[in-house]
This record gives sequence, structure tokens and C-alpha cells, in this order.
Amino acid sequence: MINLSLNYKLAREFIKNFIREEILSNGFNRVVVGLSGGVDSSLVLYLAVDALGNKNVKAVMMPYKTSSPESLKDAMLVGDELKVSYEIVDISNIADAYFENIKDISNLRKGNFLARTRMAVLFDKALKFQSVVVGTSNKSELLLGYSTWYGDMAAGLYPIGDLYKTQVWGLAKEVGVPERIVKKKPSADLWPGQSDEKELGASYKELDEILSLYIDQRKGYDEIVSLGYKKSTINIVLQRIYKTQYKRTFPPVAKFSPRTVGIDFLYPHDFKR
Amino acid sequence: MKVKIALAQVNPILGDIFKNREKHLEFIERAIKEKAKVIVFPELSLTGYSLLDLSMEVALSPDDLFFKEFFELSKYVDIVFGFVEKGVDKIIYNSAMYLSQGAIKQIYRKIYLPTHGMFQELRFFGKGKNVFVFDTDFGRISMLICRDFFHPSLLFLSYAGGADFIFALSNMPLRGLSGDKPYIEETVEKAADTYANFLSMFIVFVNRVGFEDGLGFYGGSFVESPLLVRHGFAGILNEKLTFAEVETNDIYKKRQSFPLLREEDFSLIKQNLERILEGQK
Repeated sequence: MINLSLNYKLAREFIKNFIREEILSNGFNRVVVGLSGGVDSSLVLYLAVDALGNKNVKAVMMPYKTSSPESLKDAMLVGDELKVSYEIVDISNIADAYFENIKDISNLRKGNFLARTRMAVLFDKALKFQSVVVGTSNKSELLLGYSTWYGDMAAGLYPIGDLYKTQVWGLAKEVGVPERIVKKKPSADLWPGQSDEKELGASYKELDEILSLYIDQRKGYDEIVSLGYKKSTINIVLQRIYKTQYKRTFPPVAKFSPRTVGIDFLYPHDFKR
Repeated sequence: MKVKIALAQVNPILGDIFKNREKHLEFIERAIKEKAKVIVFPELSLTGYSLLDLSMEVALSPDDLFFKEFFELSKYVDIVFGFVEKGVDKIIYNSAMYLSQGAIKQIYRKIYLPTHGMFQELRFFGKGKNVFVFDTDFGRISMLICRDFFHPSLLFLSYAGGADFIFALSNMPLRGLSGDKPYIEETVEKAADTYANFLSMFIVFVNRVGFEDGLGFYGGSFVESPLLVRHGFAGILNEKLTFAEVETNDIYKKRQSFPLLREEDFSLIKQNLERILEGQK
């Protein structure tokens, strides 16, 4: 009901500059991207190549034995298309060594562990490649907390962190991400048949509109209801935002000294001496 | 009188006043080569914007020897730039300095320091108290810094002081990507059009580019004439030095055909303002 589309040409230019400058000003010129074959990581890879050139970008695919083979195929398609060097690290053995002795592990626990295993691999590859891990989180998942803390959220920068999922689709089209990837049903692919929209309980279109009304336009609950959105969906959004705020903030520090990290030791991220 | 104004749309390095000084000197040399009358840098051009606890560390007295080459070069071109001022009152300010003929002509301290949302300026800087107008060999100038430009009341003071030029030194981060232009750029251009039209003066808007901690400053520097012609547009997102050649006689032309200044009654404004403020007590 509200139009969230952007000037994607300009958005592309802006994010390209963002990646280049943030990477260079932090003393690097290379990045690694964990590439799943989904639209978010594919888009980030395109933008990173835009910003730094394909020689300075590395992709890492980290399938688990239950990951959809289609995902890996799509990831390779993108890697080949952009002529980016990529590495495939099958994480089945690493993860299974841990899962082996655990009975009745839930999908959520398993999914989180896989996300954090991928993080560990990705940061190791980043060090070897003397590069920064570029995050692939978008604004919808950051706000809904629909991601693993210190897992897929762990990154040096978030180039698409201010784009809602529906805007990710728009920008992906603009930069030329293959259509089959843009059109694919969104899934974290942490277990077979997983679907974002099924798990979240609403479509991204609906979720993004409510998020934008609540967050960007500062509309209240009643105002959003009066615009015709389902109360149940608004409740999902608001509950998720507030339940997951801890993921988006620096952990509280017990302050007693004159200057405390996370509270009043206020140096900018991008300053290097 | 024809005046060539150099707009230095730079991308400063956060917290590195030495490297930033190099860039200033390089841009100033280029402006001298192009025979510009004045070169205008953005807000905090010497230090970068997102300073937080660095603010104190990069602060300088206006008479610091650090500026020696600036003073020297100001014999050939007037120089306007932004820095963190170490005030003699032991307070630091977000200031703009105007140098001409080897001396300080004016120092302006930013009055309205945004402190909301992504902005935290009042946590680190003292608040300026005065709008100034001062004369140069090409006209009467008034300097403002970034948020000040969105307060028409301050431009009105410059107008009352007889300013021909407003120099608005800015660090405006990009916001709003749904239209042809960034929303913030539209806002600035609309404001500049309005001010240039109704105050009948030149608006010199210089904004920085580059990213700091995720904020992307959009640039888009330009000079707007009272006849509503835009000069020297520097484009957005990229570092650039552009030149705007303007004719100061445009101010007379405008004020002849649209004589708002002649009609203006500043004492009436003063009386009404006092009465209204009195009534609010």
C-alpha cells in the first residue's frame, strides 16, 4: 500500500562509494563475502565488485549436507558471472562433529550453530586474504532480528543494512543479479524446506511496509491499523523488534571508571592513528 | 563586478589535520592558478565531521602556526574553511575562518548545533552566539555553518546586515533515495532558491563528500544567484573543485525589479519581535 521503491541507480552509486571508502579508510582494499546463492549475498557480491574490482573480492560458499544443491549452483553462477575467485568449504564435517553426541537438537539450535560455523570459517578466510568480511544483512532482517547473533550478523560493514528486503530485490535487478536468484523464495536454507515468510508469518511486502511506517515514518500502532494492516502482523513486527534489540546494540558494560567502552569512550569507527 | 568563487567539495580524512591541510593547500593553489577571488571549503574541512572524542584533540587556536601557509596564500586568494576552534574562553567550537590579505578577517562559530538522531554536536561543541557581516573587496559576506542554513532567522540577520553573499559551509549526510535527487539535496536547493529570491543575495553552498562511520555526505555544492541561476554545480558524491563566475550587479538588478529590501522595515521587525517575545513571558 505504500511505495518503498528507490532510485536504484543512485542507491547503487551510493553503496559502491560506501564500500570503497569504508574499506580503504580502515586500511584494507579487499573483502570476502559468504555467498549462499540467495539474493542478499549475491547483491552484496555485485556491489563489492563494483566498488573494489573482482580481483579484490573473494566469495566463500559454505554448504552443509542438508543445504539445497540449487543454492550452491546459484552461488557458483554468480561467482562465475562476476569472475570472482571463490572457494567451497563444506561445513558438514565440522558441524557434525559437534552435533554427533547431541540428542534431540532443535532446528533453531542447529541453524544457529551452522551460521556461527560459517562465521568462523569466513573470518579465517578473511584473515588469510587480508580482507574484511562484508555482511549481507538487510534492514528487514536486522529490525526483525531474523538472523544469528555473532553468526551471519558478524561482519565489518553492512552495505545493504538500510535496504528492506523488497528494496534488495529492486537493487538486485538494477545491478543485474540473475533473475532466478531474485525471484527465488527467500530462505535461510538452514534446514530443508525453511522459508522466511512462513517462519516470520507474513510476506516481506507486508512486513517491510509496516516496518517502514513504524520505523521511518514514526507512525504509531493505531495509525498503522487505520491504514488497513492486519493487527496480527503488526504485532509480529513490534514484538520481534523489541525482543531482539539486544542483537543491535553493544552489550551493557558495568560502568564505574571515568571512560567506559560502549558508554562514553566515544571514538569514531573510521578513525585510524 | 565579476567574481570567481572556487567551491572546494573535498573529502577530508577523519581526524587527520595534517593530511587535510595538504589537500587544502593543493586546492588553494589551484584556485590561485584559476584567479579565483575566494575559495570556500565545507564545514570542518580540516578535521572531518564524526569526531566525537577526537574533537578536543584536533582543536586549534586560530593563530596557531599550523595555519602559516594558509595565511601566506591568503594574500593571493581569500580562503574560507572549517575547523575545530580552541577558544580563548577554554571552549571548543565548530567554526569557520575567513582569511584575506594574510590576516584573519572573521571567525564564525556555528550557532545551531544539531543534537538529535544521528547528530551529537552539542555534546562536544560550544554554541556560537553571533551572526556577522563583513566587507571584502568583492562584497559583504556572512558565514553560516550547515544546520544554521535551515534557520531562516539567521539568514534574515545577514540580510539585515546588508550581506551580498551567504557562505554556507556544510557537512550534510545523504538521506532519502526515492526521488531523482537525494531528498536532502532537494531540500537544500529549495531553501537556496527561496533565500536567493526573497533576500536577493548570492547563496554559496559548499558541502563535503565521502563516508564516515556509515554517513555519506552528498556534496552537491553550488552558487545560486539572486536571479535564480545556479553556477558551479559540483555534482554529487565525488570530490571536486568547481568555479562559479558571478556578476555582483545581479543583486542591484534583482532589488530594482523586486525591491523587497527597500520596503523592509527592520525597526518594525525589531519592535514586533520584542513585543511578541515580551508577551510570551
